[in-house]
Amino acid sequence: MSCHTPPNKKSKVKYDNEINIALAGNPNVGKSVIFNQLTGLSQTVGNWPGKTVERMEGHLEFLGYHFNLVDLPGIYSLSTFSLEEIVSREYIVSDEVDLIINVVDVTNLERNLFLTLQLLELKVPLIIAFNQMDLLRKRKRDLDFKKLKQFFDCPVVPIVAVHGVGVHKLLEESIFLVENRNKCVPSPDLTSFGKEIEDKINIIIEELNNLSDFESKSQYPARFLAIKLLENDDNLINYVEKLLNFPVINKIKSLRNELEELHGEDINTIISSEIYNNIIKVTEKVLIEKEVEGIKGKNFADIVDHLTTHSIWGYFILIMVLLGIYLFTFTIGNYLGDLLNNSYSMWTAQVYELFPDTNLLVKILWDGAMGGFIGAVSGVLVYVIPFFFTIELLQDSGYLPRAAFMMDKIMHVLGVHGKTVITMVLGFGCNVPACAGCRIMETEREKKISIALTSLIPCAAVMTVVMGLVGRYVGLGWVLVLFIINFGTILIVGRILNKTMPGACTELIMEMHAYRTPNYKVIFKQTWVRSKEFIFRALPIIIILGIILEVLFLFRVLEPVNLILSPITVFWLGLPAVTGIFLIYGILRKELTLVLLAIFAENIGLTITQLLNPFQMITFSLVTMLYIPCFATIIIIAKQTSWKYAIQISFLEISLALLIGGIVNFSFLLFTIF
Amino acid sequence: MHGRHRRHRLIQQDTKKYVPLLKCLTDCEKGEQLEVVEIQAGYRAKQRLAHLGVFPGTKIIKKKSAPWNGPLEIIVRGTSLVIGRGLANKIMVLCKDNCIS
Repeated sequence: MSCHTPPNKKSKVKYDNEINIALAGNPNVGKSVIFNQLTGLSQTVGNWPGKTVERMEGHLEFLGYHFNLVDLPGIYSLSTFSLEEIVSREYIVSDEVDLIINVVDVTNLERNLFLTLQLLELKVPLIIAFNQMDLLRKRKRDLDFKKLKQFFDCPVVPIVAVHGVGVHKLLEESIFLVENRNKCVPSPDLTSFGKEIEDKINIIIEELNNLSDFESKSQYPARFLAIKLLENDDNLINYVEKLLNFPVINKIKSLRNELEELHGEDINTIISSEIYNNIIKVTEKVLIEKEVEGIKGKNFADIVDHLTTHSIWGYFILIMVLLGIYLFTFTIGNYLGDLLNNSYSMWTAQVYELFPDTNLLVKILWDGAMGGFIGAVSGVLVYVIPFFFTIELLQDSGYLPRAAFMMDKIMHVLGVHGKTVITMVLGFGCNVPACAGCRIMETEREKKISIALTSLIPCAAVMTVVMGLVGRYVGLGWVLVLFIINFGTILIVGRILNKTMPGACTELIMEMHAYRTPNYKVIFKQTWVRSKEFIFRALPIIIILGIILEVLFLFRVLEPVNLILSPITVFWLGLPAVTGIFLIYGILRKELTLVLLAIFAENIGLTITQLLNPFQMITFSLVTMLYIPCFATIIIIAKQTSWKYAIQISFLEISLALLIGGIVNFSFLLFTIF
Repeated sequence: MHGRHRRHRLIQQDTKKYVPLLKCLTDCEKGEQLEVVEIQAGYRAKQRLAHLGVFPGTKIIKKKSAPWNGPLEIIVRGTSLVIGRGLANKIMVLCKDNCIS
């Protein structure tokens, strides 16, 4: 093993029979399929410490060994393009990893090997899994594994992940590799660059090795560092300067400039093209029976691809798909939700028969905790699960990139990519899964803007309020006006965020892999893993909040709130003071604003029309639409980004709602005066 | 390899066979076989493209473009890549075959 591996690691493996594996590979190569095949349901989703990148972890026992598997995010390179790349390379060189399984999609060999060759430079024990061998053979091609083994000099395993072929061979090879501590010495053809570049790299390596404590201090091998320093990798330049006190910038800058001048290209292009040259040297030799392209006729996947990106049919299918998701999610969600709510009211009647009405504890526990739980399950969870299912289905089959391809131009008006259209349409159902879905965005900036816009989409609960108040008592025309105001706000917020958010709107660069039959096992498992996360993370918080609000309500603590809020509600928005408390409750679940309003009106013997005039109804609905994402959404936003950003969004939306609500209120006032 | 040098040579060679046609990726027709000559984009976009195997000298095929001046789909190294129109505008290509001028 390489020099940077601490010596105590061997003993740890021996004693505990524990093997820590990281799965690395490009996006969409079947990494999660392998991960699912191996770990079953024993997986957990978390975040990398201090980062918003998802960390999938799972465990299994095999041949007396305990395997800890970490599914690294899908990446194309080990540079600093995205947070995922930095997280991955830091994890790979850390002491936590014994070996890496690099999953390679053989139908896209060249691009996949780009990452492999960089992983080789990290000098960590490596197993290469060549996935989708069945597809390759269907295309009348094959790989020469003998030659592959000669090139890479590390275990190369042909697998068909969807059918589980060869997957356990990976574990056997892992055990063998860890037991024998085999070194991976790839052929020099594979990793060496042109002479002029090698010279520069060697100069840097020499400088690094001259440092007295380089071997003990650096986690990265000298050659990897040298290449990255030459590539102007600011993250590693920082690392080298801070950790090793090695002032590099000027020295390496001149080396880099020399190279760039010589080649007439920038350094990234030079290094990348060298790596691709090496890759071609391999693929030329290992790909056998290369059939001339274009001979085979159009298959089903090609026809679907053609239709779904067609200038007319494409949009028709897109609308159908979005409508389908919406209907699927809501038919199932509404059915289950109603079922649960009905049972809950039945149980409530029984509970209050058993216990006297005045029992405070019962009220807190039943109305607060149980009510909060049922509310969260029937109002959110029943929509979250079917929605996650559909999104996994679309992602696995390969439709998502097509939808993004078709909608990219239109969504650019809002300053986001085409992919946002999916989360935004889903936002009409429930903002919670929609905001969680924003993880499909590539960059942090994209994700943040998409989340902000998605959280402004009127969800089913908001629709209930708007339809139940304005639609019922004022007229459908005004509902339309409210929606226009809502979408206008989204447009403006999109524009503003796009201007103010640091960084430029990155252009779409996205791989569009061929359609494939979705793997239902994977989809069900992924759906469960994602839902599990919601159940155990967000649900408890919602329930606790339900209890707190119930306690506050029972002890009439919230009544002064109406007084405190009255300058805003009464003066600025022109609403009755009592609405203040309803709006507070609405943070928990938005339809509560209307439900509580109706209950309140009933309690004091008035109808809603007597309590609110049409103008007030419009203002009240408008404020409910915009004023804040509901609590579950805020939690999801915080999980996807940070609490700071979730609070920022909340404040932004509160101020927007107040601004627009005030404008509407005062224009009504003017209207009634004149 | 000498990027500038090689590019120059390529253009000269092509002059003998076809009409040399240096143009923007967005101006090309569907199905044209092209060679990337220059990417006039920013550092990060260029870096990303390079990692995905698109840099001067790479042979690509323009597969299709999304309606209403949307993004483009190209075939590079046997697989599809979607590139936003703004970026595609900055990719200069040389027509290799099937040129429609």
